[in-house]
Amino acid sequence: MLLRRNPLLPSDHPTGRRNRCPIPAGVIPTAGLMAGVLLAVAPASLAQQVPSAKVLYRLSTQCALQGAAPVPCTVEAVDSGGATLYRHRIGTSVETVRITAEPVTMAIWAHDARNWRPLRGASARFSTNTVCFNGKDLCVVNPNYLNSVREDRANTRLQGRDLVMVHFGSDGRVDASCYDDACALLLK
Amino acid sequence: MNTLSAFALLLAGVIASPVGAGLALELASPHGPALIARGGGGGRMGGGGGGARMGGGGGGARVGGGGGGLGRAGGGGSLGRSGFQGSGGAGGLNRGVSRPAGGWSSGVAGGGLGGPSLNRPAARPGGVVGNPGLNRPAGAGSLNRNVNANLNRNANVNRNINRSVSVNRNWNRAVNVNAIGVRPGWARPGWGVARPWNHGWYGGWATPSWGWWGASAAAWGVGTLATAAIINSAVDAAVASNQTVIVVPNTQYQLLFGTVQPTGTSTVAFDVSANGSVYQLSADCQSGLLNGQVPGNAQEAELLNAACQVAFGTAS
Repeated sequence: MLLRRNPLLPSDHPTGRRNRCPIPAGVIPTAGLMAGVLLAVAPASLAQQVPSAKVLYRLSTQCALQGAAPVPCTVEAVDSGGATLYRHRIGTSVETVRITAEPVTMAIWAHDARNWRPLRGASARFSTNTVCFNGKDLCVVNPNYLNSVREDRANTRLQGRDLVMVHFGSDGRVDASCYDDACALLLK
Repeated sequence: MNTLSAFALLLAGVIASPVGAGLALELASPHGPALIARGGGGGRMGGGGGGARMGGGGGGARVGGGGGGLGRAGGGGSLGRSGFQGSGGAGGLNRGVSRPAGGWSSGVAGGGLGGPSLNRPAARPGGVVGNPGLNRPAGAGSLNRNVNANLNRNANVNRNINRSVSVNRNWNRAVNVNAIGVRPGWARPGWGVARPWNHGWYGGWATPSWGWWGASAAAWGVGTLATAAIINSAVDAAVASNQTVIVVPNTQYQLLFGTVQPTGTSTVAFDVSANGSVYQLSADCQSGLLNGQVPGNAQEAELLNAACQVAFGTAS
């Protein structure tokens, strides 16, 4: 089922539909060029190429930006096949985080550059149901995400853990992680 | 090949050197998640092993045990799977696409929710987070002692149950009580907010004030039910000690709190252990019915109260 709206995009993104710059007639793009186009304008075209994309849930909760006071927000989680997209609607602004698996990578949609910007780090505190991205740039109460993570039976790393922090290397993959008290020493 | 072998030896030597910080390094290796030996004390020298573990019971960092990178090695390095584990897991985080057993929540209760925070939450009155058994709720010392003692000593629980627990004849034995059933994703620290049902009949009780309780209480010869704080504290303690049951206050029933799940706007299903068996029960929290019947005694009322509190009661 095709979604009416591109789930890969913040709703206010101007390219929420197909790229308005058509490829000139007679020009046959190479595979590499095509891939580049897909990456650069991924939100517009990928969603249309992922018909299985579906909304997992919509959550009314609270968010905090840049460590500021919490404000009401909504989270829309979309399974787009190879990634899960979390669209945080905070007032009139939208922050979309994309999480992939194997390997786990996280990126946030950069409105200015109009592409996905890899995150430097992420963290979660189970007892407060909080997930934060890039330090405290964007924090959200999202028990759904943490419940899902907790039920991953193949993963025993979080058993008995409350706080987990991860750091992403320049290649976008996790290159460091810590739990609980050790996070006071690292990844600050 | 020789060059590669030499490199492997060199790398093994590096890994064998002491690790100075509680950081789980996940090396981005072009060779994939190759396993590199890392035993307690280093291979055979390790003896009892455990040299790689840091932190411990207090929830500190652990290097090893799959804690984000370094695997565990048994004493003497006898385990073949010692060393670095795959780097696929982001410290255990994933993309959160699997639907939890309890389903997806559509909203987080606003009252009392302090907003997102990475700080350890303050201790709950009458209970603590991540530090079970140290604080006792005011006026409920004996209840708290019973909970901890019974949870930690199964043998005593069984002896007591066999002597004195009454099992109503209309209770049905539960089948297929599996790991997910007793350990849903929400049954963890922060469970009050994590409960995925955001619908139904919420009492918002700091202290349960069931309409069905008052008249029966006098007949049963007891004055009050366990408070929400006591039940919350018992769940907190159970979660912190990785237990799946709480002893229902003033009874010897063991509530498998992870099985609690609303079935309607005021009804709930749950499993309880009694007499060495597990029973699947239902409760109507508004009408005060246990398996469709009025509680036959105070113990059944306490069980009903506890299940309803876990499902619908106030919990931070």
